[in-house]
Amino acid sequence: MKNSVTWKIGGEAGFGIISAGTMFARTYTRAGYHALVTNEYPSLIRGGHNLVTVRIATEKIEALNRDVHVLVALNRESVDFHKSELQEGSVIIYDPKDYEWNISDFSPSTVLLPVPFSKMVQELKGEPVMRNTVALGASMAVFGGPFEGLAKVIEDQFANKGNAVIDHNVAIARAGYEYVGKNFSGNQSCFLSPVVKREDQLLLNASEAVGLGAVRAGLKFAAIYPMTPINALISFLADHAGKLGIVYKQPEDEIAGIMMAIGASLAGVRSMVATSGGGFALMVEGLSFAGMIEVPLVIDLGMRVGPATGMPTWTEQAELQFAIHAGHGEFPRIVLAPSDAAEAYEQTIDAFNLADRYQVPVFVLTDKYINESQWCAPVSLFKKPVVIDRGKLARGDDLPADGSYRRYSLDTQDGVSLRSTPGMKNGHYYANSYEHDETGHVTEKAANRVAIVEKRLKKMIAMKADIQPPSVYGDVDGEITFVSWGSCKGPVLEAMKLLKQKKKSVRVVHFSWIYPFPVEETKRILTMKSRMIIVEQNVTGQLASLIREHTGIEITEKLLKYDGRPWYPEELVEKTI
Amino acid sequence: MVSGGVSRKNDMTITADSFKTGFLPTWCPGCGDFGIWMSLKDALAKLTIGPDDGLLVYGIGCHGNMYDWMNIYGCAGLHGRTLPIAQGAKLANHKLPVIVVSGDGDCLGEGGNHFMHAAKRNPDLTVIIHDNQVYGLTTGQASPTAKQGFKTKSTPEGVEDEPVNPLALAITSGATFVARGFAGDIPGLTQLIIQAISHKGFAVLDVLQPCATFDKVHTYGWYRQRLYKLEAENYAPDHKLRAIERAMEWGDRIPTGIFYKEERSTSEDREPALAGGVLVHSQSDEMCIDELLKEFI
Repeated sequence: MKNSVTWKIGGEAGFGIISAGTMFARTYTRAGYHALVTNEYPSLIRGGHNLVTVRIATEKIEALNRDVHVLVALNRESVDFHKSELQEGSVIIYDPKDYEWNISDFSPSTVLLPVPFSKMVQELKGEPVMRNTVALGASMAVFGGPFEGLAKVIEDQFANKGNAVIDHNVAIARAGYEYVGKNFSGNQSCFLSPVVKREDQLLLNASEAVGLGAVRAGLKFAAIYPMTPINALISFLADHAGKLGIVYKQPEDEIAGIMMAIGASLAGVRSMVATSGGGFALMVEGLSFAGMIEVPLVIDLGMRVGPATGMPTWTEQAELQFAIHAGHGEFPRIVLAPSDAAEAYEQTIDAFNLADRYQVPVFVLTDKYINESQWCAPVSLFKKPVVIDRGKLARGDDLPADGSYRRYSLDTQDGVSLRSTPGMKNGHYYANSYEHDETGHVTEKAANRVAIVEKRLKKMIAMKADIQPPSVYGDVDGEITFVSWGSCKGPVLEAMKLLKQKKKSVRVVHFSWIYPFPVEETKRILTMKSRMIIVEQNVTGQLASLIREHTGIEITEKLLKYDGRPWYPEELVEKTI
Repeated sequence: MVSGGVSRKNDMTITADSFKTGFLPTWCPGCGDFGIWMSLKDALAKLTIGPDDGLLVYGIGCHGNMYDWMNIYGCAGLHGRTLPIAQGAKLANHKLPVIVVSGDGDCLGEGGNHFMHAAKRNPDLTVIIHDNQVYGLTTGQASPTAKQGFKTKSTPEGVEDEPVNPLALAITSGATFVARGFAGDIPGLTQLIIQAISHKGFAVLDVLQPCATFDKVHTYGWYRQRLYKLEAENYAPDHKLRAIERAMEWGDRIPTGIFYKEERSTSEDREPALAGGVLVHSQSDEMCIDELLKEFI
């Protein structure tokens, strides 16, 4: 019996790999297991090699590891590509019609489990794409899984297609399940230990989590131009917009997107944009504009491999310094970086409140890895009460009738002034991209320029009240300190567990709040007593630079990965020891 | 008329003077912007849209400086970006009159892509294009509408490219109200602005205006010799191809008036979320998502 198993399914795009991964994981999350689903695919619509990896465990998991218990190959290439990742005892489920594999083709020795996917689908009068369903049933048998759980997931998946389609799919999955039962019953090496289900869990990617957080926070308007890796957020918003009373608009380009969102925010609704680095490059003038006219704005910046078009479907963390420094001129902003779907949900809600509280742009810095991987999270997280803080937003009946309202009043401790929205009586003003006075009128007087710049920048000081210190995990006096941010958290925490087994004491200092940088907290936490190792997914060590800039602390030992693939915990261990 | 939920029924005193700010225009003497400014103030007063009742979105260029002497909710955007800002504001508050004050460089150069896409969506906006063929604020370079042969600082040998035709572009892109006015005809322009704002849909009003400083050719006199009113010729603005034909007319005779008009659903009409009311007024507290969560379990 195993506490953690990893299942991979590979094939061409169009083979139904992604949906198979979700259905497989959902079968287990519903039963109370933890799951993490990742995918790898090239930037193509059809063809090319696609891979979905699902790790199922009895306890909470933070990342994948290098285990491969089962490889389902829907074509020959899937074995060719992933042969080198197989371990002693890995089970290969494949169709002998694709290729007659021999045990001698593999080292270390693996278990071959030929299942005639195509023939079975044909016999049951299914479409070729349903080979993935045979594979799901077969895999369920290998893990000793609950077939009825899978049947229910299939039923829900095809709920709007009618009973005939449901029954057909269940029958095909059952054929796979029974085939393995008949031909492979002796091998229980991959059976999962039982778990007790505590509560319902969601299985969702970070883009969907951003969407849920935004809805919960009262999002009313989003203008998002399609771009990997934030397309799941578009689907989520477009599918639910009408029902939730949200407007989702597809703009003509990212410049229009951010300008529309600024226009909507100016008019008083909570609004957001989402994009990746290339799209954000176009938005940069809009960011500066938002900073100048002091409108709240939430930006989901989903990082992927750059520069330029880069490797669009692969992951990277190279936009940290870009998010902090983007925009001409100097103006305040906030940068948050969630590590997984649960944190993406929470930080998106925070982002809307912070944007309103300080009337500034707020970034939620996600990446391909978290946006397109599916994470499990307890339903109670999403049902917790949410506080909505609109900051200094006028109600409409609270503006002086004598015309003395000043939108950019300098009479403010925190740099934030009362904000009216168009249509409010006695509230008219100019949201002016030119430098302006308290009313919004253009002025180039030196004294005014200094005063209004200082008013805006005062927000950076006020924000200190909201800054979150880095989280600390593991041994406070660990001999090794890993320093990480965003989506590196999972692999780093898993590496810490592995190092502990090797009698190494490890501490993890993880940054989810990036900017304004938590200077004092970092100085206190990052003492030089232990061996400090920065872990990032970029080539220059952008967090390391930020830490040095703000604290003078130089972390010289850097584990940097920039091949587009997330860290494996084992990789971190090897590079540390 | 109700805008932004504020009833203005009791406020009957809106005149052109309601929009005074205490700042005086910095436009050159004789600039066509004066005529557009005065016509716009008159039109707003006649429509009883007061300083708290509407939003003007300005671009960057000589036209854009108008915000400083125009006492009404204003957003002086970035160069070329008026239309997306206006569309976002309109979707957030679709009862609010939103008027875009833009220029030929702003709207058709830097913002050309936005112009085309705004027209195809048909938001209930009015865009007034200050069209003088030249970039005045940067001291006299050719604009996208500059006619061939026009000598400017950036085209000392004369413009060689085809000019953009704002009217034909608007018609083919899907604008539902397309008109041309003249800055030297304030009563006529005021009427056109009123009709444009009253039209439900994307209203494009291209306004021919002399640049007194950088264009010695297209003067008030030059225009007056050539302009004629479509309405005087029993022209019916209900046919796209005929409208394009008139839009292409330029030379000894230059038409003004409404070229094309049709009723079509607006982008706001097509948003299910707006059927229940104004978005900014439905901005309530926390949303319940329990039903939504089931999709992910």
